[in-house]
Amino acid sequence: MGGKFGYALRETLQNLRRNLVLTGASMLTVAVSLSLVGAAFLLGYGVDNVTQRWQGGIEFEIFLNENITPEQQARIQRELDASPDVARSQFVSQAEQYELFKVLFAEQEEYIESVTADVLPPSFRVEPSIADADVISALGDRFKGEPGVKDVVFAEETVRTLLRVSGITQSVIFAVAAVLLFAAALLIFNTIRTAIFARRREIEVMKLVGATNWFIRVPFMLEGLLQGLAGASVAFAIVYLVRNAAQDAIRNVPLFDGFVVVTSQVVTTGALTLVLGAAIGAVGAGVAVTKFLDV
Amino acid sequence: MIKLDNVSKFYKSDVVALRGASVDIRKGEFVFLVGPSGSGKSTFIRLLNKEEVPDEGRIWVAGKDIAQLSPWKVPFLRRNIGCIFQDFKLLPTRTVYENVAFALEVIGRPRHVIQSQVPAILELVGLGKKFKNLPHELSGGEQQRVSIARAFVNRPLILLADEPTGNLDPTTSVGIMRLLDRINRTGTTVVMATHDRSIVDTMRRRVVELDRGTIVRDQTRGVYA
Ligand SMILES: Nc1ncnc2c1ncn2[C@@H]1O[C@H](COP(=O)(O)OP(=O)(O)O)[C@@H](O)[C@H]1O
Ligand SMILES: [Mg+2]
Repeated sequence: MGGKFGYALRETLQNLRRNLVLTGASMLTVAVSLSLVGAAFLLGYGVDNVTQRWQGGIEFEIFLNENITPEQQARIQRELDASPDVARSQFVSQAEQYELFKVLFAEQEEYIESVTADVLPPSFRVEPSIADADVISALGDRFKGEPGVKDVVFAEETVRTLLRVSGITQSVIFAVAAVLLFAAALLIFNTIRTAIFARRREIEVMKLVGATNWFIRVPFMLEGLLQGLAGASVAFAIVYLVRNAAQDAIRNVPLFDGFVVVTSQVVTTGALTLVLGAAIGAVGAGVAVTKFLDV
Repeated sequence: MIKLDNVSKFYKSDVVALRGASVDIRKGEFVFLVGPSGSGKSTFIRLLNKEEVPDEGRIWVAGKDIAQLSPWKVPFLRRNIGCIFQDFKLLPTRTVYENVAFALEVIGRPRHVIQSQVPAILELVGLGKKFKNLPHELSGGEQQRVSIARAFVNRPLILLADEPTGNLDPTTSVGIMRLLDRINRTGTTVVMATHDRSIVDTMRRRVVELDRGTIVRDQTRGVYA
């Protein structure tokens, strides 16, 4: 068994060395395309985090006193339900606010530890049925003086723009990444085809003396997989560094102060990148092996 | 050991390579397949290790109906069959030792087995001193000995030889035939395709003659024609 594994590994490394240029090109393409995929994901996470409260048409949020009475709360609820200008409203409890808080400040543990659910105000999130900014602000202002209401906070124009632009940006990045991923798979397919061609005499002898099909296939599959994984690792590193740099750069920009991508999200993105890289490599190599190995 | 029952093989629809061939070869026999170029000798040989599959008829090798053999078992059939060819099929970048070891390595034989069997078989074929040479540093006869060593190192039940002396001069050919005869005497069944008249006439073994795909003669202790 040790001998078999040794053979596969030796052959794989030898093939990789033989086709340095082609191998380099495929790994680079994998790296670039997966960096884009990773960046798109991180952008998505970041925008999600910073706009948590403003998604799905939410235009303003009515924060309530922590010690609001059930009667006061019920009255505001009735008023929202009765207003023809309100399409939908959603109550966010103190516990839910705390969960949100934990996501937003995940990087600052001391901050989370200093806060408990009962100091965070519950709220109503409101989605108006009209788009007119004046009507919306009038609607929100109506609640400002009501008993039990602490404050009314409106979504800023910039948040709306951010949400729209990031959606478009993400779609464009994904489209470019998809094209590049396809190119990467083709390049890996090509390196494996070249490797098979370079070793056709060995392969002929192997078949003749009774090497099993998997024994012949594995080095080539492994080669494709390694190329995909290597490219993905580079992509992961790039994405990680860019995320840190970007986060430092925008830390002091007011709107973006909540623009964080927590480590768990980076790790998820990284894992996804590696899985995608391995899949691209395996698919490219698998198709080449099936097509040209005839075993 | 080998049995063909009414076997036919067509390439495309109009090329008949073998038609209605029935042969029964017992363990330890030495059989010459003779006939002019294109008479179906190579096809006959390739059918035996399932490089080709027959269009009609059935073939048994070592007691197994090889038409019934599922694809993943074919490698294990081939481990019982050694093959040598006119063009040797040696790997040019590997030494004599490595060429022979390769055959054991790729079927997963452990290192200590390889280290004891390869030198022994190279000694047997008379190349004990040339194990470090590359194929192109050897004569044609020596290269064929390497390929025989590679085919026989796993002690197969059957040795298939497709015109093994086709590229060799008569004197060298005699040496190769002595070696094949020795291997045959260890109990290995040998099937050899050839159109070398003098070899067939000197050896006086069983002769199966093919003509345009049909067996026209099957003679024990036969001559070429
Ligand atoms: N792979 C192939 N495709 C098509 N025709 C083939 C192929 N191999 C052999 N033939 C044809 O089959 C016939 C028998 O060939 P072969 O078995 O090689 O004969 P021999 O070895 O006696 O010269 C010939 O007519 C040859 O042209
Ligand atoms: Mg032939």
